[in-house]
Formats: sequence, structure tokens, C-alpha cells
Amino acid sequence: MYNFSVRYHDGRLSIAHDATLTLMPDHWLIHYRDPSGELTSVRWALQGISTDENFSNLFIFRYGEFPQQTIECKEDSLPQILRKRYPEKVFFRRRITDIFKLNNTTIVGVALAVLMLMGLGYWFGLPWLAGAAASRFPVSTEVQLGDTMYENMIRAYDVDQGLTAVTNDFAKAIDFKTHYPIRITVVKDKEANAFALPGGRIVVFDGILRKMHTKEELAALLAHEVSHVHYRHSLRNIFRSLGGYLFLSLLLNDINGVVTVLADNSNMLANLTYSRELETEADSKGMAIFKANRLDLKGFVDLFTVLKSARGEVESLKLLSTHPLTADRLRAAEEMVKGQGQVREDERLERKWEAIENELK
Amino acid sequence: MEQQETRQLTFHGEGAKLFGIYIVNILLTIVTFGLYYPWARAALLKYMYEESELEGSRFTFHGTGKEMFLGFIKAIGIFLVLYGILFGAAATQKPTIMLLGFAVFYIGLLLLIPIAIHGALRYRASRSSWRGIHFGYRGDRKELLNTFVIGSIITLVTFGIYGAWLVIELRKYIFKNLRFGNITFSYEGEGGAFFWLNIKGYFLTLLTFGIYGFWWVKDLFNYYVNNIRMYQGETRLAFRSTATAGGYFKLLIVNVLIVVLSLGLATPWAIVRTMQFVFSNIHIDGPLDVDAIIQTEADYTDATGEDLADMIDIGIV
Repeated sequence: MYNFSVRYHDGRLSIAHDATLTLMPDHWLIHYRDPSGELTSVRWALQGISTDENFSNLFIFRYGEFPQQTIECKEDSLPQILRKRYPEKVFFRRRITDIFKLNNTTIVGVALAVLMLMGLGYWFGLPWLAGAAASRFPVSTEVQLGDTMYENMIRAYDVDQGLTAVTNDFAKAIDFKTHYPIRITVVKDKEANAFALPGGRIVVFDGILRKMHTKEELAALLAHEVSHVHYRHSLRNIFRSLGGYLFLSLLLNDINGVVTVLADNSNMLANLTYSRELETEADSKGMAIFKANRLDLKGFVDLFTVLKSARGEVESLKLLSTHPLTADRLRAAEEMVKGQGQVREDERLERKWEAIENELK
Repeated sequence: MEQQETRQLTFHGEGAKLFGIYIVNILLTIVTFGLYYPWARAALLKYMYEESELEGSRFTFHGTGKEMFLGFIKAIGIFLVLYGILFGAAATQKPTIMLLGFAVFYIGLLLLIPIAIHGALRYRASRSSWRGIHFGYRGDRKELLNTFVIGSIITLVTFGIYGAWLVIELRKYIFKNLRFGNITFSYEGEGGAFFWLNIKGYFLTLLTFGIYGFWWVKDLFNYYVNNIRMYQGETRLAFRSTATAGGYFKLLIVNVLIVVLSLGLATPWAIVRTMQFVFSNIHIDGPLDVDAIIQTEADYTDATGEDLADMIDIGIV
């Protein structure tokens, strides 16, 4: 009962001896015939024996200091008998990898659970983490970061000093409910566009100003961009794509290039939908600013109409655009207009808008 | 005619088992925020070795997660310092300091490669065994570093042409210092032949719109394998490859299909196929006495090089 056939390596020579292992009360006895036919026996004291971590049914035990002697045994009954014979010594420690020795259903189950966990982490965990990281970022550092970005990029544009002055003046008349220093720069560019940098810098293309007809449209545009600044959307976006990249490269560390390319692209797609969410958020927060200032929400409707006509012809290609489809935004804004209460005609703001219109002529 | 004695390695790994190991590794690596990674690597290497067989005996990888974790931490520390220098220099916005930072960073990375290769070879070889006999690497770090740095500079000056000679020189150095017990190795390749092989492969691949690529890869593999020699005392043994372009084509096409169609999930099956392809195409010719290899190498447990090499993505085995 306590005899097993094993292969024995003495650690000095690569010869494999077919040997018999006998389990004695406090030691193992290994005996074999060496090549000259002489019967040889080796004694392993119990406390010096260690078990190799293994994934198959080949059990390997080692003994002594380097170079170690080893025995290999293929008998499935061995672990059970060892437990019975030596209850005080643990030969086979329980390991997480033991589940590979279970059936395939378990492996598939675990695999699915892991996939789900990964999916949840990627789609929900990461954006949340990005938000948390962004909200802990000190405001002063953010302003500094935004200013550095601004310094680097503004050189590529032609700044309109006159328009910049009157537009900043216009913005001061609106309470944006933010502690960020809002600084607007108007640049000469035909495109109907504007963007916000972290920390309060907003760049407006004069192309979009020329297409506007009312002060509410400009106010809507600024409210939208200020919301990006106030809710730290750029930072969240940066953290999100950085996190996504780290997550995927960690995961796919040793998977070949094809998958990495696929994964990179899907990460980009995920970022796009994420920034669409941010755009929608900026719209709704911008409308909240309008309500607080009792401005006419129709400004948003008009702004989106302007955008739609300016970008109309390429709209169908913009499935992957960072902004939600203008038509959808327009619809959402029209809904909001229906529900809005008392609006006030702001004379002071109107004067400032006229100043901008004069400057545009 | 005398029957030529030849031996082969066989790979017994199964896709399903490898898949299970990958899944658990990924899961634990995620929930421990990456700290489990060294153990994951150790488990993977153990499995791959355990399923590799020569003359009825399996190979063993003795490395442990703990050893590799220490190396992992050191390697991360080294990278943090390097990136710290880079970003620190970039933050000053001063051109001279930025230039200096870049220089330190890239020279550091360049020096790190041979250091990683050396450390990884020493660790990996020492932790690999067959029938209780350990492998070993006796190279000198300084010598490898010199060869690598001087070779890189010449490669740069010759617009990459010397690269072929450098690769061969590194292979020669590594194999010269590789031990398996008292068995020694050598690499018989030549820079010139290797260079023309690559030139021919490159232009024919361009001319045939990539089709010749399979022959090129086959040639590179064969050039690598066919030039390995093994010596047991006075006996010389030669490695021989039987890989064909058709075989490569089949391996690659099916693997790409497996990986892409399963969105990467079936990658372990592709890995098993690759291992089987490599092993089944390498023959060791000559009268090897598998019972007479004598233990000669010492223990080496510093895994920093192994982890560095892993991070820079240098494949050794």
C-alpha cells in the first residue's frame, strides 16, 4: 500500500532511475538498481521534502539543498495516501490554480465571470475612476495645466484682439456659477467651432460668431463651454483614455498585435461615446446656467440650428463625432424651451451683444 | 548507411488548460491592481515548461512568484526613475535641461536592454532544469554591455546595416555562455550571410506584395536553428530545422483566424499551436547521451533582469 513506482534523479547526473518509493513513518525510502546492477537506496527525511507546484497529474518532489534530488510520480492515488500517512505534514497546499483540475464547466463559468467583471470595470469602473481622479486634481494645477496648453496652441491661431475684448466683456455680464477664471479668446477662423481647455480658457472661432443673430446664442455657446470647464470634462477625458489604455495594455500584455490593434480602436470608440455623454452633460448644465440667469432657452435652439446649417452637409459622416448629433441636441433643446418659465429681457447684455456685432462688421 | 540519431522536443500543452491559467491570471492581476503579475508569469512559465518533454522527461521551471515579485518591484523602480527624469526635465521648459533629460532617458533605455538580457538569461537559465540538471548562463554583464553599446553605435552610423552583424554577434556570445550541466553550446551563424538573407527577404517580400514573407520568416527561423551546436564532451550535436514556408503559412493563417474570430479569447489555443509547430520542426542530430549530463551550474535567484526584459518586451525563449 505504501509503495509507489517513481523516477528518481540524483541531482548530479541526468540519468533517470526507475525506482520504488516506500513511505516510512518518518522518512521516504527510495531504492533502485544503478546501471552496474547494484541495489542502491536513498533516504529522504520527511521535513526536507518539498512539493513542486504542478498543473498536471505528474507529481514532483524535491529534497535537500541545491542541486536537489527529485522524484517524479504519476500515480493519481498518491496525494490521498500522503494525507492519510502523514496527517501532520501538508504536501499539497490548496491553490487558486487547483480549479484547473476541476471540470470544464467550472473553467467556462470562471471565464465568463471574469469577462463580465472586466466589462463592468471597463464600462463603469473606469469612467467613475476617471471622474474621481479628476475631482481630486487641485484647481490651481488644473489652471496652470490649461494655461500651458493654451500657450502652446494659441500660436497656431490668429487672435482677434478687438473681438476678444468685447466677448470677455459680454461673458462678465452672465453669472456662470463657477469659481474658475473664465478667459475667452476669439480667433480668426471660418469654421463654426469653439472649445474649452481645462482651467477656464475658452477659444471661440469668429466663424461661429458671424453666424449668430441673438445674444442668447452666444450665451448658450459660452454656457456650454463653461460647463465643460466647471465639470472638468477635459481632465476626465484625459484620465479616461489614459486609464483605458493602461487597462487594455495590462490585460493584453502577451497577446499578439492583431488583438492590440482591435483593442486600441475599441478603446477609441469607447472614448467617443464617453465624450458624447460629456457633451450632453455640458448642454444640460449650460441650460441650468440659463435658467439661473433667466435667459431665454431659445438661444440653445438657435445655436444648434446655426451649427446644423454650418455642418449640415457632413452630418451623416459624423457617426463617430465627439459631439452628439446636432439634430438630437436641437430636439432636446426644443423640449426644454417648452418647459421654461418666466424669461427676462436683459438690456445690459443686449448692449454688449451690440458691441460684438459692431466689432464683427 | 548508418541511421542518424536524432531527438525532438514535444509539447503536450492543451489550449483549455492554458486558457484556464490565463483567465485566473488576468482575474487575480486585476483584483490585486497588477501586484499578482509576477505570480501569474511564474504560473504560466511553470505550465509551459511542465508540458515540454525530451526523452520521456519533462522540463521544470523553478522560479517563484516571490522571486519574480522582488525583481518586478526593482524593475518598476528603475523605470520610475527613468520616467521621472524625463518628465522632470520636460516640466522645467528649459531647452538645455529638456535635451539633457531626453538624452539620459534614451541612453538609460539603451543600456537597460543588455542589462535586462543578461539578467534574464542568468535567472531563466538557472531556474530551468531537466532531470534535475540545471541550465546556466555564464556570460559577463560588462562584456555584453560593451558589445551591445559599441554595436548599437556602429549600427546607427552605418544606417542599420551593421545590425545584422550585431544580432549574430549577440547570439554567438549568448550561446557560447549557455550551459546545460556540462553540455555547452555555440552559434555558427555569420553576419554577412544573415545580412543578405534579410536583404533578399525584404525586397522579395516587397516585390511579391508580402507573399514571400512566409519564406523570409522560414529562412530566419531556419538560420537561427540550423546554426546552433551542442557539445557533450567530444561529441558535437547539431540542431536542424524542418520548417517550411507552407507550414508557416498554415500556422499563421489559422492562428490569425482563431484569434480574430474569437476576439482574442482563443489566443491560448494559438499559442499551443505555435509551440507544437516550433518543437516539431526542431531536430537535435547526433549521439547525445541523455543519461550522462553532469550537474555543473550554480543557483541564481535575482529575477530583476527577467522582469526588466518582460517590461521592455524582449522575448528570450
